[in-house]
Amino acid sequence: MNTLPQQLANGLLLGSMYGLIAIGYTMVYGIVQLINFAHGEIFMTGGFGALTVYLALPSGTSMWALVPLMLIGGGMVAVLIAVGAERFAYRPLRGAPRLAPLITAIGLSLALQEVVRNFYPDADRARAFPGLDNTHDIGSVTIKDADIFLILAAVVCMASLAFFVRRSRTGRAMQATAQDPDTAQLMGIDTNRIIVIAFAIGGFFAAVAAVAYGLKYGNIDYRMGFLMGLKAFTAAVLGGIGNIYGAMLGGLVLGVAETLASAYIDGIPGMQQLGGASWANVWAFCLLILVLLFRPQGLLGERVADRA
Amino acid sequence: MTTPVLEARDVTMRFGGLTAVRSVDFTVNSGEIVGLIGPNGAGKTTFFNCLTGLYVPTEGKVSYKGTVLPPKPHLVTQAGIARTFQNIRLFANMTVLENVLVGRHTRTKEGIWSALLRGPGFKKAEKASEERSMELLEFIGLAHKRDHLARNLPYGEQRKLEIARALASEPGLLLLDEPTAGMNPQETRATEELVLAIRDKGIAVLLIEHDMRFVFNLSDRVAVLVQGEKLVEGTPEVVQADERVVAAYLGTPFEGAPGDEEVAEVEAAEAVAEAAPADSTTSTRGEAQ
Amino acid sequence: MTDTLTKTRPATRGLIPLPSAAAHALILVGGVATAASAYLAWTWTSAFPGNLTFNGYPGGLQWLTFTAGILTVLFALARQGAPGLKWLSPTSNNAPVVLSTLGAFGTTWFTVISITADLGGLANLEPGAYVAAVASLLPLIGALALPQEGAGERPVKETLGHYIAKADRIPAAQATAPWIQRLIITAVTIIGLATFTYGIDTEYGELFIGYLFVVVFAIWAMHTAGLIDRFSALVAGNRSFTLAMGFAAAIAFPFTQTDDHYANIGVNILIFGTVALGLNIVVGLAGLLDLGYVAFLGVGAYTAALVSGSEFSTFSGVQFPFWASALTGAAASLLFGVLIGAPTLRLRGDYLAIVTLGFGEIFRIAVNNLDGDSGPDLTNGPNGIPSIPDLSFFGYNFGESHDIAGFTLGRFANYYLLMVLIMAIVVLVYTRAADSRIGRSWIAIREDETAATAMGINGFRVKLVAFALGAALAGLAGTVSAHVTYSVVPNPYQFAGSTPPNSAFLLAAVVLGGMGTVAGPLLGAALLYLLPEKLVFLQDKSLLAFGIALVLLMRFRPEGIIANRRRQLEFHETGQLDVPDTTTLTDQPAVTKTGA
Repeated sequence: MNTLPQQLANGLLLGSMYGLIAIGYTMVYGIVQLINFAHGEIFMTGGFGALTVYLALPSGTSMWALVPLMLIGGGMVAVLIAVGAERFAYRPLRGAPRLAPLITAIGLSLALQEVVRNFYPDADRARAFPGLDNTHDIGSVTIKDADIFLILAAVVCMASLAFFVRRSRTGRAMQATAQDPDTAQLMGIDTNRIIVIAFAIGGFFAAVAAVAYGLKYGNIDYRMGFLMGLKAFTAAVLGGIGNIYGAMLGGLVLGVAETLASAYIDGIPGMQQLGGASWANVWAFCLLILVLLFRPQGLLGERVADRA
Repeated sequence: MTTPVLEARDVTMRFGGLTAVRSVDFTVNSGEIVGLIGPNGAGKTTFFNCLTGLYVPTEGKVSYKGTVLPPKPHLVTQAGIARTFQNIRLFANMTVLENVLVGRHTRTKEGIWSALLRGPGFKKAEKASEERSMELLEFIGLAHKRDHLARNLPYGEQRKLEIARALASEPGLLLLDEPTAGMNPQETRATEELVLAIRDKGIAVLLIEHDMRFVFNLSDRVAVLVQGEKLVEGTPEVVQADERVVAAYLGTPFEGAPGDEEVAEVEAAEAVAEAAPADSTTSTRGEAQ
Repeated sequence: MTDTLTKTRPATRGLIPLPSAAAHALILVGGVATAASAYLAWTWTSAFPGNLTFNGYPGGLQWLTFTAGILTVLFALARQGAPGLKWLSPTSNNAPVVLSTLGAFGTTWFTVISITADLGGLANLEPGAYVAAVASLLPLIGALALPQEGAGERPVKETLGHYIAKADRIPAAQATAPWIQRLIITAVTIIGLATFTYGIDTEYGELFIGYLFVVVFAIWAMHTAGLIDRFSALVAGNRSFTLAMGFAAAIAFPFTQTDDHYANIGVNILIFGTVALGLNIVVGLAGLLDLGYVAFLGVGAYTAALVSGSEFSTFSGVQFPFWASALTGAAASLLFGVLIGAPTLRLRGDYLAIVTLGFGEIFRIAVNNLDGDSGPDLTNGPNGIPSIPDLSFFGYNFGESHDIAGFTLGRFANYYLLMVLIMAIVVLVYTRAADSRIGRSWIAIREDETAATAMGINGFRVKLVAFALGAALAGLAGTVSAHVTYSVVPNPYQFAGSTPPNSAFLLAAVVLGGMGTVAGPLLGAALLYLLPEKLVFLQDKSLLAFGIALVLLMRFRPEGIIANRRRQLEFHETGQLDVPDTTTLTDQPAVTKTGA
C-alpha cells in the first residue's frame, strides 16, 4: 500500500483539502490584505455544523441524502461565522494600523476554538463523524468513497469559482476590487458587498473541506482548524497569495510534498529518524521557508492590490 | 563651473508591455534648480522613482556624482539623494524633532550596542544629532514646535517638516515631489524662498511640479516629459514659449507627438482583440499614480 | 457628548431627580454607613469564607466594603470642597464620586449575593448584610443625582456618560519641592505594593473578585479625577527615582510573604512579564507580529537544561555556571531568531506572523520528537529534561530556604530575587534601545516603512536587530525559568494553551497592558496570570476569555491599559488640531491647487 502512486494519490487528496481551505485565505488577503487567522476555525465550525445536521437526522438516512444536507448545514454555519466576523470584528478596523485586525483575528480564532470546546457537547475529544469508507482499487492505488467525494467536491468548487470570477458581473467586480479598491468604488462597485461575498465563498469552501475531512478520517476535533489552517495558508503563499488558482495549486503541491517527505525521507542516508508522520509538519514548514526564500511571490504570482 | 550631480542617460522603464519612460536623458548640475514638468500620466513619477532607487531602470543608467545609483532606496539616500513625497509621508506619531532626527539616520552610526552600553560616544552623538536637527528646524522655522506631534501640524508646516527631514541626511541633491500641492499663494511664495535658500546652501534641487509659475520662477532649467519621453528642455522662457508644450497640456494633438505610433499600435491591437473576448485576469504593475 | 464651551454650559439636573443638598447628604451618610456596616455580622455561618460572622470586627470581604466606603466619603468631601481634600478632586467633577460609589456598591452587593448563592437562600443573611446592601445603594443614588457644575439657562438632564467622564482639562498641580515629590512617589509605591500583595495573597476567589471591584473602580475614579495624570507628570520629572522605587518594591515583595507559594506566583509573573517586555520590543516598538515568541523562551530553557548538569541531559557531563548558561541560552535563541528572521523579514509583514507561528509549532514538535526514536536523542522527547539542579552562587544555594534578618526566603523567593535582577536588565535594555537612534528607526519603520527607507534606514537590518534582540531576551528569561520549574518539557510551548507560557498569552499581555510602554506588558502579564490563577472557575475558560478580550480590546481600546501617548493618538481622534493625511485644499480662501 505504500507504493509511489498511492503516496501521490494520498498527497493529492490531502492537497485538495488544503486547497479548498486556502481559497478562503487567499481571497480575503487579496482584497483586504488581512490574514484571517480565524479561517481555520471557520473550517472547524463548518465541520461541527455538518455533524450537528447528521446527529439531528434519523439514523439510517442514506449517505446520498446525508452528505448534501451536511454540506448545507456545515456551509450555513461556516458562512454565518465568516460573514459575522467580517461585519463585526474586521470591518470596524478597516482603517486601523495593520496590527489591529491581525490581533483581532487571533482573538477570534481562540474564541471560536474555545466556544466549541466548552459549549458543544463532548467536544473536548474528537467526535465521531460518519465516514464513507468503501474502498476501491485502481491499479496499485486504493481510495475510499470519501476520497472520491473530495475530488469531486474540489473540482466542482474550483470550476464554479473560476466561472464565477471570470464570467459573472460580481466576479469581475471582485477582480476589480482586488486590483484597486478605490477605483472600483469610484466605478460604482459596492466594495463592502464584494468583501462579504469573498468571506462567504471562503467560508463555504472551508465547510466543504471540513465535510470531506470528516468523511475521510471519521472524526472531527475542535483543534483541527489550527494546523489545517496554518498549512492552508502556507499553501496559499506557495501558490501566490491572492491568486485563487495558486491556492489550489499550492495546496496540491504542499500535500504531495508533505506526504512524500513523510514516506521517503527516512530513506535518505543520515535522516533515518526524520521520517514519518511526526515530522510531516516540520517539512511543510521548511517548504514554506524555502518558497519564501527563493520565490516569495509564489508559484503563480501574487495578486494583491498595491496598497502603498 | 558646473559639475553634474545627477546624470540620467537613456533611462527607460518598462512594466510588462507598458513603457512608462522612454530613453530619457537628464542632468542636474551642482548649484542648479531644475524643474520637471509634464501632464498627468507623463511618467514623471516613474522617472522620479528611478532616481530614488525605488525602481531600477530597465535600460540606461542613473549616476550620482559619477557613481551609478545603488538599487535600494536607503542606499540612494546614503549616497546623497534625499526626497520628499507627493502625499506627505511624515512619521505622524513622532514629534517634529524626532522626525528630523530620523532623517539624520544615515549620517550617524550608533547601533544597538552603542545604545545599550551608552558610552560617552553615544551621548556625544545624540547631542550632535539634536543640535544639527535643531539647526534645520530653525532654518525652516519650526524650532518652536519641536515637541509637537507631526500629525498635529497644519498642512504647510508638515510640508516644511518633510523638507527639513530630507535635508537632515545632508544630501547633495534634493528631490521635491510636488512641494506646493495644496498650498495657497502665500505658502507657495514661502516655499520659493525656502528652495532658494536650500540652493544657496549648495544643494542642487530637482522639482516635479504642476504649478507653472512656481517652477518657472525658480528653475534654472526645465525639462518637459510627455508620454514618457523628454519633449523639450531649456530655460523657463524657452520652454514656456514652446507651443508643443502648451499643446501637450491642453491635449491638442500635434505633429510628431511622442506616442503617436503607440496610439496607432493600440488601435490596431484593439481591432484584433475585438474578435476574441479578453479574459485576462492579470494586473499589470503600471504607474502608481 | 457635544457640550461646547465650558463657560456657558447650561446648569444640569441630576439623572435622578433629587435636590442637590439631599444628594450630597445621601452620599456622605451612605458612605459612612457603608463603612460602618462592615463592622456588623453579615452571615451566621463561617461556611462562607472570611469569617463575616462577627459583630464589631470586619472580616474578609467586609474590609473591602469598608475601604470602598471610606473612599466614597473622601471623594464626596473633596467634591464638596472640604478644606484639605481639594487635591483629591482638582476639578470637582462628579465622576470620582460616582465611580467610588459604584465600587462600594459592586463589592458589597457582590458579597451579599455570593453569600446568598453559595449558602442557598436569603435566610443565611444576617441583618447586617441588609444594612450593608441598603447603605451601599444610597450613595450611588445620591451620586447619580448630582448636578454638574455650571451656570446659565435651562437645566439639562445629565446623561450616564457624563457621570463617568473625565474632566476636560486638569489644572496642573502646584509645583512642590523635589523632596515632597519623592515622598509622594514613595507613598504611592508603598500603597501600590500593599495593594498588590493583598491581591496576590487572596485565598479564595470571591475575595479576589471583590478586591478587583474595589481596585478597578478606585483607580478609575482617580483617573477621572485627574490624579493619574498628575502622578504621571510627577513621575516624568523623577524618572530614575521612580524606577528605583519600583525595583525596591519588587525586591521587598518576597519579604512580605510568609508563604513561599506566593513567591512562586511572583516569580512566574516576573518571568512572563520579562518575556512580554521582550516581545514588546518586537511588537510594540518595531511593529513586527511574532506569533511564535514562546519558542524562543523554550530554546533558552532547553539550552539551559542541557548544560545544567542534569543527568537526563544529553550533555550530562557538562555543568555550566549560571552566567555561562544564561549567555548560552540567550545566544541560542538569538541564533534561531536570526535564522527565522533573515528569510522572512525581507517580505511582507504579514508573512512574518505565519512563519513565526509555524516556527513555534515546529519547535515544539521537533523537541518532542528528538527522543532517540523519531529523531536523534537531543531533548529526551515528551518527557523532557527533569531534575535540573538548583543554582548556586558563591555558596548561596537557591534551592534552600535562607533566613535573612528575621525573614525567611524560600526557594521561590530566591529565584524571585534573581528574576528581579534579570528583569532590571531587560527593562534597561528596553528603555535604552527605545530612546536611541535604533529605537527611532524601529518606530519609523512601524509608522511608514516607505518613508523610513527613503530616509536611509535599512528596513531589513533594523527589523532583524529588533527581532534578534527580542529573541535573545526571551532566551535569557528562559534560562532562569528552566531552573525555577526543575524541568523542561515540550508541552507548554504552544501557540495557545490553558496555562502560560504560550504565545497567545504573551501577545495578549503585551496588547492588554499597552504596547510600547515599560509597565504595560508587566501589568498585562500580572493580570493575565493572576486572573485564571485566582478565579479557579475561570481556568477552564481562560483561553475563551483571552480571545474575546483581544477582539474587544482591538475594537474599543487598542492601546491597552497603559497607553503609550503615541499609540493613543494613533488609534483615536483626540480633538486636537488634526490634519488629514492627504489634502489638496486649505482652509484659506484662495486659489487652490490640485495634486496630480
